[in-house]
Amino acid sequence: MASLIPCPHCGTRPRQEFSVRGDATPVRPAPMAADEVWNDYMHVRANPRGRIREHWQHIAGCRRWLVVERDNFTHEVFSVSDASLEQGGAR
Amino acid sequence: MAYDYQAVHALDGTIGAISERRANHLAVHRATAIAVVLAAPGQTAEAAGILVANGEFEARFSGPGEWLILSEVHAPETLCAELSVRLGDFAFVIDQSHGRVALTLAGPDAARILANGIAIDLHADVFPVGRAANVLCNHLSVNLARTAADSFDLVVMRSFAEALVDDLKTMARSHELSVDFATR
Ligand SMILES: [Zn+2]
Repeated sequence: MASLIPCPHCGTRPRQEFSVRGDATPVRPAPMAADEVWNDYMHVRANPRGRIREHWQHIAGCRRWLVVERDNFTHEVFSVSDASLEQGGAR
Repeated sequence: MAYDYQAVHALDGTIGAISERRANHLAVHRATAIAVVLAAPGQTAEAAGILVANGEFEARFSGPGEWLILSEVHAPETLCAELSVRLGDFAFVIDQSHGRVALTLAGPDAARILANGIAIDLHADVFPVGRAANVLCNHLSVNLARTAADSFDLVVMRSFAEALVDDLKTMARSHELSVDFATR
């Protein structure tokens, strides 16, 4: 089951259908925030082992951006949701 | 300066002229009218209601608020005009008739052949007649729809059509498969 991602729109799919953008936890700073804050947001990443939240796009399926919560050590997937829900999106 | 444009199918010259039709057959459609419909923000349910299957066209799910519309009775121009009138402000309509190629794979081994390159469960209980989905077929993203127990439609981007047909031939190597343009 390691390489299967349950897309909320398409059902269970192999990870080859997806493209990973990366960490979904950084929050975009205000436009006039200090350079150090922007530097952190742009370039500084933690490298945790365990449960992480990432942005994945279902490229070969619904093409929606998803937030995937998974364990990067065991590859267990805990939750997958449409990224627009995080922003209170229109769909 | 005036140009004479000729409509050339993406697979012209690569398939056709088969000597016999085999148990499983891949038919390539020459002139299916195809459109993509994207629901306006917050109007998915309204657009879906308008697109409910009728005799003129068929809507295939491709993503939330997004459908592929196929029609054998409309020409590309009339399909888009018809959809635009019906959908009004509920959705956006884009003609894809010359941008995609529609194929039908039918035969007793159709699901087995597809399973050699597509990683979704194709059992009739899970993927029943009328169901459609965007799936990865080897390296190509295609829209797959089940049209009967042993018949599937595939819609692929025009420039990938030749590669998809080659892939399907490979996937069908241990089954009997013939490939030709559809006649109607
Ligand atoms: Zn999906």
